[in-house]
Amino acid sequence: MFGYVRPPQAVPEAETERFRRAYCGLCHALGRRCGPAARFILNYDFTYLAILLSEKEEGPRDRARCIASPVHRRTYLLSSPALDLAADESVILAYWQLRDGVEDHDWLHGLKYRGLSAALEPAYRRAAQARPAFDGSVRRQLALLAELERGQCPSMDRAADTFAVLLQGAAGGVGDRVQRRVLEQIFYHLGRWVYLVDAADDLRQDAAAGRYNPVALRYGLTDGAWTAESREDFAGTLDQSVHMIAAAFALWDFGVWTPILEAAFYTGLFQTGRAVLDGTFHERRKKRKTQERST
Amino acid sequence: MNDPYQILGVPESATDEEIKRAYRELARKYHPDNYHDNPLADLAQEKMKEINAAYEEINKRRGGRNGGGGGSAASGGPAGYGGYYGQSGGTSSVLQQVRLAIQMGDLNRAEQLLANYSDHNAEWNFLQGAVRYRRGWMDEAKRYYQTACQMDPGNMEYRRTLDYMEQGPRAYPPGGTYGTLCAGNPCLTLCCAYTLCNGGWCFFC
Repeated sequence: MFGYVRPPQAVPEAETERFRRAYCGLCHALGRRCGPAARFILNYDFTYLAILLSEKEEGPRDRARCIASPVHRRTYLLSSPALDLAADESVILAYWQLRDGVEDHDWLHGLKYRGLSAALEPAYRRAAQARPAFDGSVRRQLALLAELERGQCPSMDRAADTFAVLLQGAAGGVGDRVQRRVLEQIFYHLGRWVYLVDAADDLRQDAAAGRYNPVALRYGLTDGAWTAESREDFAGTLDQSVHMIAAAFALWDFGVWTPILEAAFYTGLFQTGRAVLDGTFHERRKKRKTQERST
Repeated sequence: MNDPYQILGVPESATDEEIKRAYRELARKYHPDNYHDNPLADLAQEKMKEINAAYEEINKRRGGRNGGGGGSAASGGPAGYGGYYGQSGGTSSVLQQVRLAIQMGDLNRAEQLLANYSDHNAEWNFLQGAVRYRRGWMDEAKRYYQTACQMDPGNMEYRRTLDYMEQGPRAYPPGGTYGTLCAGNPCLTLCCAYTLCNGGWCFFC
């Protein structure tokens, strides 16, 4: 369910570099706290999680070589409570997503998920020990989601609520009351948005496989194709969540991270939503990855 | 109070015009319309109070040259930050209790009261929508609001609430509102001139 929140586009080079430092900082935090296997779960979504949980200033940096950059040293953010929290929560989220993959597939197709979750299990144990409340909340919400899926829940809001509440829990460790309320609202609607975009992205596959899809049930889409009316209505409900995110975002000072987050909340989410609805999201992603590899 | 210039994000050397512009921009950002029925409306209201006080303080220090100091109305205009839950004349006492529960943030109680209320009239649908909206269940909220509007087309409270929801906040991003179906291009339909003075909530009204 991850991969829909993209790195900031059309921002000054300095902001791209700042994002990279957070990305590399999270990678180091994952390795240090949960072991080397945990570094392979690193993605952009978790980097945003780290940024949202971060202090207003960047904090101390260092430079190091790594597997991804064995020749040139890359600057990264040194350990901070926010990076540590994001690292632990990322591992817990990634682990349970893999376990979810095991449940969702037959024995043969579930092998990949089984293998990866087994590799991540030691890291997960450490993270879960450090953040038992978050781990418990993730388990409960995923169990609830599985139950709703089994019951073919026709309410896409109710289904999305499980993942939204799950992500909302990521702000549970934040001490400041106002910051926590703002983050809980951002995470709730980001979780809702991610869940719904993921369901929209899977419409055709789910229709072909006869799998549960809350968006298809909501709009009565039997063949996985949008009608003009349903597409417009669905885009509206995505936008409402983005508006709630933006409204919450305005209520807290995110310091140096503000331009990166503005790019994500004011344009990035809309662009991804549109690409998913147009069916061009995976094409674009493939093209972007090719470009990233060649630079 | 913290440094009023810092609150408005301007240096002490800023001109009166720059201060006024900064104030307007912030007032637009935290406008009640952007936080209508929002669970964080109280935080936006606090921000608005802080901004109004800072602007008033700067005006006082500068001898009132900006034409402000007319008293803050940060609690909001007709809509305010808390929505319309005080206006429930003519509805049953149970539905009034629902409004009160929503206002207090006790959504479980509101839901329970609604579940036990058999007359599914326009007000009932509106309040179901309000509970869903507060929970973040935007699709169901919109459908309940639409039903309320269909059942009682003349009710301005229902109509305005649905309009707020469908139009979304208009204060950001700076330069226009964007949306999924017009990503990358300002939505011309939503890029309307923003009306600052629609309820006496800022100094310019």
